[in-house]
Amino acid sequence: MSTGTQILFKRIHVANSHTLAAVTALGAYQSLEKALGMSGEEIIAQVKKAGIRGRGGAGFPAGLKWSFIPKNDPRPRYLVCNADEGEPGTCKDRDIMRYDPHLLIEGMAIAGYAVGAQQGYIYIRGEFVHEAERLESAIAEAYAAGHLGANLHGKGATFHLAVHRGAGAYVCGEETALLESIEGKKGQPRVKPPFPANVGLYDCPTVINNVETLSSVPEIIAQGGEWYSKLGVTNSTGTKIFAVSGHVNKPGNYEVELGIPLKTLLEEYAGGVKGGWANLKGVIPGGSSAPILPPAVCETITMDYDAIGKAGSMLGSGAVIVVNKSVCIVRALARLERFYRHESCGQCTPCREGTGWLSQIVSRIEAGKGRMEDLDLLTDICKNISGKTICALGDAAAGPVQGVLRHFRDEVEYHIKNGRCMVG
Amino acid sequence: MPTLIIDGKEIDVKPGTSIMEAARKLGISIPHFCWHPKLPVAGNCRMCMVEVEKMPKPVVACAMPVGDGMVVKTQSPMALDARKGVMEFLLINHPLDCPVCDQGGECDLQDLAMKYGPDRSRFCETKRQVPDKDLGPLIETVMNRCIHCTRCIRYSTEIAGVEEMGAVYRGDHMAVGPFVEKTLSSEMAGNMAELCPVGALNLKPFHYQARGWELKRTEGICGHCAVGCHLRRDHLGGQVKRVMASSCDAINEVWLCDKGRFSYDGLAVERLRDPTVRRNQLNPTPVNWQEALDRAAELLKGVKPEETAGLAGDDQGAEELFAFQDLLRRGVGTPHVDHRLRQRDFSGDAIPLTRADLLMNTPLVKLPTADLIVLVGCDPRHETPLLNLRVRKAALNGATVISVNPRKLKHNLPGLREMVLRPGAEIDFLDLTLEFLKHGGGGTGDAGRLAAALHKAKRPAVILGDYAIQHPSAERLRRLAAALLDECNALGGQWNGFNRVSSRANAAAAQDLGVVPHRGPGYAKLEKSGHDAGKILKAAASGEIKVLFLLGCDPLLDGVDANLAREAMKKAKVIYLGSHRTPAADLATVVLPGLAISEKEVCLTNAEGRVQVSRKAVDGPVEAKEDWRILRALSDRFAQPLPYNTVEALRQAMAAADHRYQLSALDGGEMADPCDHSPVTIGLPLGGPAEKPHVGLTLVGEHPFYQGDGVARRSATLNRLDPGPHLRLNPAEATKMGVAHGQRVRVVQGDRTLEGVAALDPLIPEGTLFAGCGYEKALAQELIELNGGFPAVSLVGL
Repeated sequence: MSTGTQILFKRIHVANSHTLAAVTALGAYQSLEKALGMSGEEIIAQVKKAGIRGRGGAGFPAGLKWSFIPKNDPRPRYLVCNADEGEPGTCKDRDIMRYDPHLLIEGMAIAGYAVGAQQGYIYIRGEFVHEAERLESAIAEAYAAGHLGANLHGKGATFHLAVHRGAGAYVCGEETALLESIEGKKGQPRVKPPFPANVGLYDCPTVINNVETLSSVPEIIAQGGEWYSKLGVTNSTGTKIFAVSGHVNKPGNYEVELGIPLKTLLEEYAGGVKGGWANLKGVIPGGSSAPILPPAVCETITMDYDAIGKAGSMLGSGAVIVVNKSVCIVRALARLERFYRHESCGQCTPCREGTGWLSQIVSRIEAGKGRMEDLDLLTDICKNISGKTICALGDAAAGPVQGVLRHFRDEVEYHIKNGRCMVG
Repeated sequence: MPTLIIDGKEIDVKPGTSIMEAARKLGISIPHFCWHPKLPVAGNCRMCMVEVEKMPKPVVACAMPVGDGMVVKTQSPMALDARKGVMEFLLINHPLDCPVCDQGGECDLQDLAMKYGPDRSRFCETKRQVPDKDLGPLIETVMNRCIHCTRCIRYSTEIAGVEEMGAVYRGDHMAVGPFVEKTLSSEMAGNMAELCPVGALNLKPFHYQARGWELKRTEGICGHCAVGCHLRRDHLGGQVKRVMASSCDAINEVWLCDKGRFSYDGLAVERLRDPTVRRNQLNPTPVNWQEALDRAAELLKGVKPEETAGLAGDDQGAEELFAFQDLLRRGVGTPHVDHRLRQRDFSGDAIPLTRADLLMNTPLVKLPTADLIVLVGCDPRHETPLLNLRVRKAALNGATVISVNPRKLKHNLPGLREMVLRPGAEIDFLDLTLEFLKHGGGGTGDAGRLAAALHKAKRPAVILGDYAIQHPSAERLRRLAAALLDECNALGGQWNGFNRVSSRANAAAAQDLGVVPHRGPGYAKLEKSGHDAGKILKAAASGEIKVLFLLGCDPLLDGVDANLAREAMKKAKVIYLGSHRTPAADLATVVLPGLAISEKEVCLTNAEGRVQVSRKAVDGPVEAKEDWRILRALSDRFAQPLPYNTVEALRQAMAAADHRYQLSALDGGEMADPCDHSPVTIGLPLGGPAEKPHVGLTLVGEHPFYQGDGVARRSATLNRLDPGPHLRLNPAEATKMGVAHGQRVRVVQGDRTLEGVAALDPLIPEGTLFAGCGYEKALAQELIELNGGFPAVSLVGL
């Protein structure tokens, strides 16, 4: 097994990689030094050329997002790092923050300089206590060394950074709910438009990026966008951390180039499916919101945005959840739907009422009280939620149901007819 | 200007307009629950989804700004499907209790469910149960019905300025209610029930009283303060069942305050039902109208004309105010007529002051564009709440708002700067401010800061409120306010910032129509001036005036000096014409029962000087008559009867005196111009003796918000909101005196005493004691002398 190009995890194996002393020797903040010699437009051009897409889930091209910040606007600009890693199955950002916080800080300083933001915030999920502490001390080190503050590397640019801890709401990972939360309000997504690039934090232009996206920036600056764009495949450039969990022998975070076959990822990196490849029941390829893929698809699919999209799912956050044949798919779905019901902010009608309804129906089927008409009802409810809500949480709740009904309908029908699981 | 097509119709709109607003301009109604024209957009109900060509998903019309070339379809299969989906979601947890719901028949959810809802439910799970909330005496909740549109939350936060409502919990457990378990304290809470698109928040006094479709609806004007809000009285079987706001962008937008909305249950309480006559100190006897009018005429004719005097309430209709002064001047022949019972300083009468000097000059709609508003002796939130909304809007737009008052205000004005002055210190303070302002706006202390703010302001406004109007040196205060604005060039041309706002509903009409001793109707000059309200009472107390004719006012409750009022009514014979019992009616020799505002068609002139007609909603007691008709019938007994037999003829006479009362011009819903009057008088002398502050505890009498007039005083609903006749004082000072909150105390001033319950209130500065006027059982006016300034009192705990 080849480990391939490492961008995000290249330093995490070094002792004390979370300290400035350890990573300075390995070239930390040299990209910032280089970036400070470039103009903001040049940096954005490099990031655009790199073709890196947002690693939080939506996959929006980062360079394009940065270029949406209005020019000649008198308002202050903000850079916000979304470290509210809440998507079930996802734990990639945690390792970056825990083992190489300076990579993120450097990426944010470069991004802040590029978009003209003088203040950045890292919105970190409340449960990441240790990571928040690591970030705090790394930020203190960076300030002391002049990598943050009023005069970056003595070159006049200003970038301040603060950590803001969340309070445990999944929906605060949605970028506008996150902004509301930083502002001290209840974490509820905002109606868009306007988008944060124009009206974001404190009604000012704001760029919001995921930890992994921002942490990729130093290498893009160091090696150039051209170099980065050659990693991975067309439309899915660069490396990506896949957090593989579930029924594999070696669950964990693996940084690989995008476009790797799923089977390679599972069999070569993650130690194989428990009970062998033939025991695979399905794979959720991009966090719990992504519809599940059946074994036949898993056989050939590659891990890039386009291929997974074509297969009716999404790459999402890159959390690969492996499910083998010991799992009752209805029960797994019931658990997931309970999660979305619990985490819906309750603001808009389709999500508030729909997630509750979905959860109640699936739980009822799981409890052996399903009706055949529930299958059509579930389909209808999913249709009535998808694309009708303020944010993507509604779609996220509908995704797993739609995936299960598409690929495991027989198992659900069995559950309804027999009042019990097909397995176990 | 983006051009777009909605359902095949093309329209140009301003950039930033939402699809919803553009569609409404075309007369296309897009169904909605959370959207409301006067509230910030939330976009959460998702009912207003429409299809926009080239967009993959339906969009919410309320939040989506229009784009040039947009093609919107409100009735396409995509839009209809989306709406049906939302409707089903809204109904799954909504109880099917429309037959017992107050909102039934006028419910947005019910109406739209008829159009978009399924005929049977596919929901077979357990419906959500939400505990109801106790929001106080105004709002009844049935929270199971809540559809989480957040209108009430946005209203309370953004409009009412009290962050009292919110949503706790998440997902389908989300529950709308007060953040903490407490009742609402807003003076405008009733609007929440009116805004609620379903039956979750209901008007508590209306709960189970009637069904919406049974009610007759009569448009009218509120008679409880000088803003003159448009409202609708819904009635059934001759009883007002509820009061709802009517839309009027120039005045109240779509809001009403709780006094205007909930006072109606006081209408039927303690009414004067029959004409009565008292003979030989016996109890009053009900008599027929002939006899009562004969007796009244006999009283009036039994003394010399100038030995009679008339006092009118400044919340009476314009018709009776006009007829009242006409009868007294023409029929009886006395010059003594006034409406300013609450006023103490009448020195402006000698000028005499113009209409512009006495009313608002900044129209309500323009007030939010002011960049500085100075509240002088004015608590707008508890005098004229809808005016306060405009002040609040100005503050939200970035205006500086400064309060110059004898106490801190319980306000909702962001960034309010409070300058608390000792009662009586206002004149010197404003003198100093004017001095600073004349020298370029510099200066020290609060006066310096006020001068600097005035100096900087481009569009400053001063609002003189009830305290300023009732001040012992009210005219000096008024002149100083005008002089300050004159110094800022803010008294005309582009901007006139001078506003004198009596909180009383029809004080403006009383001024217009000559219910003052020094001027006739239409501000006409008089050959001979009569006594002002203060002098009338003094003359009555000294026996010089022998007959007092009262029109809907009570010198005891509404006046300044209770002892003087009592003495006056003891010496003089009283004729009382009004709708409700008062202490004055109890003492009267002749009582003539009139009608309340909602029982007659009357003109009310608001603080802007805008004349408006309020329609009759319900009948009064059988024997009670329209007040002006009573006056007309009484005039038959004099040599010169009033020359009008119909309301049209009466109004012609009013219009002949003052062109603003040309009501034919106002028919068809058109409104009189606001602030349609001559310039503010400037250059008046500012010197002379003025009220000075005392050393020691000073008493200030205030007319409480929920007690302002006869109907409000009797409203059981409002009485639940009223804190009662408390004596409010500073907590630190109370502690020094050894007085606890709720303790009974005695206030002594010379040989006069007043007992009441102490309330410790941090808004009150040390050295000042605030007492409520108008409470029959504990009148602050007991301790106040008409010309005695602010009384110095001592307080002992009991």
